[in-house]
Amino acid sequence: MMNPIRTCEAIARARGNSVIVATMLSMFVFDQLDVKEGRVSSVPLMGGAGGIGLGLALGRPDRTVIVVDGDASLLMQLGGLVNVAEQAPPNFVHFVLNNGTQFTGGSNLRRPGSAALDLCGMARAAGYLHSERIDDIDVLNQRLPILMEEPGPSFVELVVAPAPAAYADQGQPQQLPDIQFTRMGAEALRLREWLRSTPATEA
Amino acid sequence: MEFVVTVPDWMQLALHQQLEARDSGIRQLMCCNEDQAIAVAAGLHMANRRVMVMIQNQGFYACINTIRAIGIDAGLPLVMLIGQFGREEANFGQPATASTRNTVRLLEPVMTALGVRFWNIDSEADLGAIGDALKQAEQHGAPVALNVGAPMAWA
Repeated sequence: MMNPIRTCEAIARARGNSVIVATMLSMFVFDQLDVKEGRVSSVPLMGGAGGIGLGLALGRPDRTVIVVDGDASLLMQLGGLVNVAEQAPPNFVHFVLNNGTQFTGGSNLRRPGSAALDLCGMARAAGYLHSERIDDIDVLNQRLPILMEEPGPSFVELVVAPAPAAYADQGQPQQLPDIQFTRMGAEALRLREWLRSTPATEA
Repeated sequence: MEFVVTVPDWMQLALHQQLEARDSGIRQLMCCNEDQAIAVAAGLHMANRRVMVMIQNQGFYACINTIRAIGIDAGLPLVMLIGQFGREEANFGQPATASTRNTVRLLEPVMTALGVRFWNIDSEADLGAIGDALKQAEQHGAPVALNVGAPMAWA
């Protein structure tokens, strides 16, 4: 089982000029890592990251698009795997942080499905060209350069530990900040401009 | 348009066929549900491509939260062509809100409640609304709907 911060850090190091679509846990981790450019968050919209990433990959076939999804988010829009497989963009890498929880870092409620839920099997059955499960950070670091280069669509289940639960003792959650409801629009504008101004070879 | 992202609609079958069968220069992407169609359209927009969503009224009801997130909160200019699936012929020429079928009757009130501006396309005479809707979406960064109230056909 991997640390989610080290996991996202490895992805950020390997991304090159790729676009990143993040949601939920990975969004907060990329914020901590100060990853800003070429990034958009699917929030508050669980389940949206894969579709947004697919649109980006089809719209910019010259650019690798990395989706960093969550396990519960993926399950909300499982049919999205079929959409990706049908369009089969070779520039699409779909990571899923699988920590078996919802509201990770809040109350860590269990998500539907057992720990043995075969996410890679689902992606493979839908028609992804490649799928694999990684639970070791050294293996991830070895595989990332290859995943960035080989034709997709690729699906990579990343087995990570849940973040510590801030409200584990039935405490009252804090009010969510306004930015969580406005950031997707602001990031979309910046991403459009970034993609206009930085051709794939110059980013 | 460069892309149409869709979950197919009964009223717009002729348009779907046109997009599939001929070299229209528009790529039709089929999605498994309307939430996904809206999300894919959002990604295409972020990639600076021209995109429209084609769905039906039932699909609109199904994906309201995604429209809220992507169209209303994020302010992406989401243009939706929405078929009034199930509209009875007796309602043609009358307000859709007078339909005896809830699937049809509720569409405009729900859009009004959400603040989604809409235009009705019931005949060729209404096609000018498409340009108005596109302009509205781009200028205001908002979702807009073109409600297709009668079955399409190619002459």
